[in-house]
Amino acid sequence: MSALDSIPPADVGERLRIARDNADITQKDAADRINIARTTLVAIEQGQRRIRIDELQELAKLYGTSVNALLRREAVHVDLAPRFRKLPDAVDAAADKAVDIMSRLARAEVELENLLGIKRVHNDPPERPILRGDVRAQAEHNALELRERLGLGNAPIGDIVTLLELEMGVRVYVRRLDSRISGLFAYDDELGPCILLNANHPRERRTQSAAHECGHFVSTRRLPEVLHTDDMSHSREERYADAFGRAFLTPPRAVMQKFQEITAGADRLTRRHVIVLAHVFGVSREAMVRRLEELGLVKKGTWDWFQANGSITDQHSRQVLGDLSTPDAQKADADRPTTLRLNLLAAEAYRRELFSEGQLARLLAIDRIELREIMDGLEMEGSEADAAPVFPE
Amino acid sequence: MQPQSSLSDPEALLVADTSTAINLHASGSSREILRAIPNRVVVAEIILVELEAGKRRGCRDADHLKELINDGFVAVITIGDVGAQHFEELVIGPATETLDDGEAATIAVAIEHHGIALIDERKAHRICSTRYPDLRTGCTVDIFAHPEVLWALGEQQLASSVLSALMEARMHVLPHHADWVVKLVGADNAAHCNSLPKAVRQGSTHTTVC
Repeated sequence: MSALDSIPPADVGERLRIARDNADITQKDAADRINIARTTLVAIEQGQRRIRIDELQELAKLYGTSVNALLRREAVHVDLAPRFRKLPDAVDAAADKAVDIMSRLARAEVELENLLGIKRVHNDPPERPILRGDVRAQAEHNALELRERLGLGNAPIGDIVTLLELEMGVRVYVRRLDSRISGLFAYDDELGPCILLNANHPRERRTQSAAHECGHFVSTRRLPEVLHTDDMSHSREERYADAFGRAFLTPPRAVMQKFQEITAGADRLTRRHVIVLAHVFGVSREAMVRRLEELGLVKKGTWDWFQANGSITDQHSRQVLGDLSTPDAQKADADRPTTLRLNLLAAEAYRRELFSEGQLARLLAIDRIELREIMDGLEMEGSEADAAPVFPE
Repeated sequence: MQPQSSLSDPEALLVADTSTAINLHASGSSREILRAIPNRVVVAEIILVELEAGKRRGCRDADHLKELINDGFVAVITIGDVGAQHFEELVIGPATETLDDGEAATIAVAIEHHGIALIDERKAHRICSTRYPDLRTGCTVDIFAHPEVLWALGEQQLASSVLSALMEARMHVLPHHADWVVKLVGADNAAHCNSLPKAVRQGSTHTTVC
């Protein structure tokens, strides 16, 4: 029995279907490429007809992958891209690219984790479907419930990316995307929850996007979501996610308390107050003022007043915060070809000879020299020669 | 001191992997080197496809290989029936025992044509030695270390070509070639080549890990 015959035809067919869907290629085009009828391709994808190795090679080339990536035993096959394409507000090219980035990173990470025997912590919060009635009230309630579950109390969230990763097992990626995309969310049984954030956006804005996507994770996790910067959607799901994000990052009690502390003795809201409050909660100055308006701590229209009167600029912020402004490490990490964690996983897989250079370059979608730079940068070959400290038993 | 060359059979077909194509391009002397080598050099069809994918990310390796093919320095070879069976065995199965298509095709073509597979990395060499003990294998450094190449380029240009491959393509060097490479490019230059094992860069002659 050949290696190909040892895999059930239904499995081969399913992997080919997912690869074709991900590459957005029609059955007709795929069939034409290997000179078979479309109905034959359908039969192959349904596992009713075995495919030959030469046909497989041609299809792999057409789908932008390799036979090994398709039929390696541990390869992860998920169909995130087609799920996004089914969204009612038709995903555009920029979002399509972002979906591809997130799918690729998550698939690579899961395959490497599985191969290295790393068990990821699953800690999904209970799902809270949106019910009839006031969406904002539900979102506020669910956000505070999640804060309680995570033991956050009223404390500001210093680093939402780490919180989502460590406490909720979300795969969060921060990469440079088209400026119109703020974030992406998808949930898959094999990958778990995944969020992609735009590194081109300021940290505070990314934090808000992450909290928004967290709202989708709680309420509508089976529906993939693309958050556009110019999103004018007023669907209940979007209004829920917006309100959830605000309540999660700026819980009413905490905002009221900090507002009182920071504005003590003052009779008006100054730029300095706004800058310090926004810094404490890690959100943008606009989001902070709008939250103060929402909670009735300042008059409606306060943000518009600031905007009409010279705004609150980054320069103002630097003057007030001085050394308190910290470098944006996630932005720096986003400039690497892959994520730092993926690099470490890949280097370990290479060191143990679990993956070849060709396999890793394809898995991470980078060229050979980029891969070599990563490996060399991690000094992987030196770890044994240097007699680096070993982990305790 | 020349290292033991695995390319001592001038009649053997040399089947170059993607890595070798990239390293030779980076050397800046690919034409002179391929002209000097008495062997016929081929690449499997899939190697061009792999390099074309890199082109989208700004690499020019595919264009360079096409020029070498057009000028007759390298030929493209299609996998036959015998090679196809080996290819299948090399790409389908558990990750630890398989290779990507380009690496597998290189080995399959070499088996089919009783040639020498030029591969640069340990996993592929390990798989070859356990599953195809009769297959002759080499690596990019074997080409640089070929006596005819030294004769054609002279020591200075050879050193500069190897250094370029190390610096530009971060060429991998297998342990048994490390001393020769350091001696050729000089210890000072070798110290700046991050793809060389750290012990080698630091001037040690004893290497433990490639």
